Amino acid sequence: MDLTAIILLVSFFVLLFLNVPISICIGLATLVSLLIHIDFTPATMTIAQQLAGGINSFALLAIPFFILSGIIMGRGGIAKRLIECAMALIGSLPGGLALVNVMSCMLFGAISGSAVAATSAIGSFMVPEMKKHGYSAEFGAAVTAAAATTGMLIPPSNILIIYAIASGGVSIAALFVAGYVPGILVGLALMLVCAIYAIRHNYPVTARLPLKVAIKKVVAALPSLLLVFIVIGGIIGGIFTATEAGAIAVLYALTLSIGIYKEIKVKELPGLLLKACETTAIVMLIIGASSAMSWLLSYTHIPQTISDFFLMLSDNPLVVLLLINLILIVVGAFIDMTPAVLIFTPIFLPVAESLGMSPIQFGIMIVLNLSIGLVSPPVGSVLFVSCAVAKTSIHKIIKPMMPLYAVMFIVLMLVTYVPAISEALPRFFGLIK
Amino acid sequence: MHKFMSFISSVLEKILMLAMVAIVVTVTWQVFSRFIIQSPSSFTEELARFLLIWIGVLGSAYAYKTKAHLGLDLFIYKMPPVKQKRARILIEVLVLIFASSVMVYGGTLLVAMTVELKQTTAALGLNMGVIYLAVPLSGVLIVMFCIDNISQLLKSTPANENTVEGES
Repeated sequence: MDLTAIILLVSFFVLLFLNVPISICIGLATLVSLLIHIDFTPATMTIAQQLAGGINSFALLAIPFFILSGIIMGRGGIAKRLIECAMALIGSLPGGLALVNVMSCMLFGAISGSAVAATSAIGSFMVPEMKKHGYSAEFGAAVTAAAATTGMLIPPSNILIIYAIASGGVSIAALFVAGYVPGILVGLALMLVCAIYAIRHNYPVTARLPLKVAIKKVVAALPSLLLVFIVIGGIIGGIFTATEAGAIAVLYALTLSIGIYKEIKVKELPGLLLKACETTAIVMLIIGASSAMSWLLSYTHIPQTISDFFLMLSDNPLVVLLLINLILIVVGAFIDMTPAVLIFTPIFLPVAESLGMSPIQFGIMIVLNLSIGLVSPPVGSVLFVSCAVAKTSIHKIIKPMMPLYAVMFIVLMLVTYVPAISEALPRFFGLIK
Repeated sequence: MHKFMSFISSVLEKILMLAMVAIVVTVTWQVFSRFIIQSPSSFTEELARFLLIWIGVLGSAYAYKTKAHLGLDLFIYKMPPVKQKRARILIEVLVLIFASSVMVYGGTLLVAMTVELKQTTAALGLNMGVIYLAVPLSGVLIVMFCIDNISQLLKSTPANENTVEGES
């Protein structure tokens, strides 16, 4: 490998392990490596330009909107109604409460795009409820964390928007639709584990709700679920862009939680806005810094070098794709999803494409793969939030996580080797050829 | 210094909140003008993108103040207090180097260059320098927050630092 790549990698990881903020790690490592090629002044100007220019995109604007609508919905009693709806539908099956937890996370993922928001919104209600009925806190925390990652695939999903940018313009609408089947597959696989676990541990089965009550609960959740049809229907139907859908999601969530559910007061809004700004800024600085790094990468032809290296190792697509997945799982355990997608998409996508994989399938694969990292120690952010919500610790949660990791990995392999899982639905809607 | 920085960040908060409201209103107006009054507005897309740059770049300074940026805190927590304090100071210095070289120095030259080249935007006719101005401005704020953090760190004893960390 060439000198630039080595300096870039080494300086990045040294800074990362020092606990320098990850966006600054990317920026500083890029600066140091760029200095081999050009002088200090143009190097700083180039990076400064990329910091702002890298986020100068209308598609990226969807991100602050979905962050804000996610924050509003996490606070606005929407989570509670989704849980009650799931309870009415599947609460009386074996392992009912665990299944409800998974389904609520999936429904929450379908109206918001943040796994952390889903974990705290659903987990803070469901884990105590599960504990009350004899489930262990660790199992509750593990289920919540794993289930929350389905929101990364089930649209609207911020990470798929970021991938669309990193991949150089894959259709966001196609990616959104492609995420449904894999996201639901992960959810069903997790439910299967929960049911087996509950039967083995003889957890009590909740009585079925009277039909009238059940219908009432489902109806109460309909206004929240209507958002899915507005946002996704609007995007698929070509009525508005993902960004415009995001703005509409914000207005809808505000109307619902202030006007109809009355769970947020107007005076709480500035705090929610500021929180959304903070989260947006963190993501945007990472995107800006990564865009400087991808500029450096393409300037020095590093992706080409790495791609050649992989294809030299093996020309068997099965082996190369497995290798890429294993590398990404290790990466995902250390680096958060957003920077990982931004850094590794330009490197691995060309390899996958040369093996005949479509950018849509690759996008779903990388997001599902890095979802495992979100719930893996040492740095899985979702795992930490869920432990905090359940008041348990990381080392206790690993044992119940094991079967959940296993099924997530199985679905990952299916997504990697069966293109139709990701591509059939967008093809059906005519979003890809 | 510390009091002054608290004042600066409360001003920053107000600006960011307003920008966030503005960005929602702008894109909503874009949808509204297209469907309801049937005359698509030409400036909203550009305005929204520029607001995003300002929220992203200026917000980064705010997120630095609130220590919200993501990092890998795996090893630093395992260090003994004295080493941990030194590492924290080193991190601040590294961020300071990035903010002052790339954001303040590179950013200022970038603004100067775009102003000189009279590079203007398509719909609003704004000079691009106005948009890039967010970079050096945010850089200056990050440098100030770094200096404030370093002075706070130097004042604190390592043991204190640890108890504060334990509470949060």
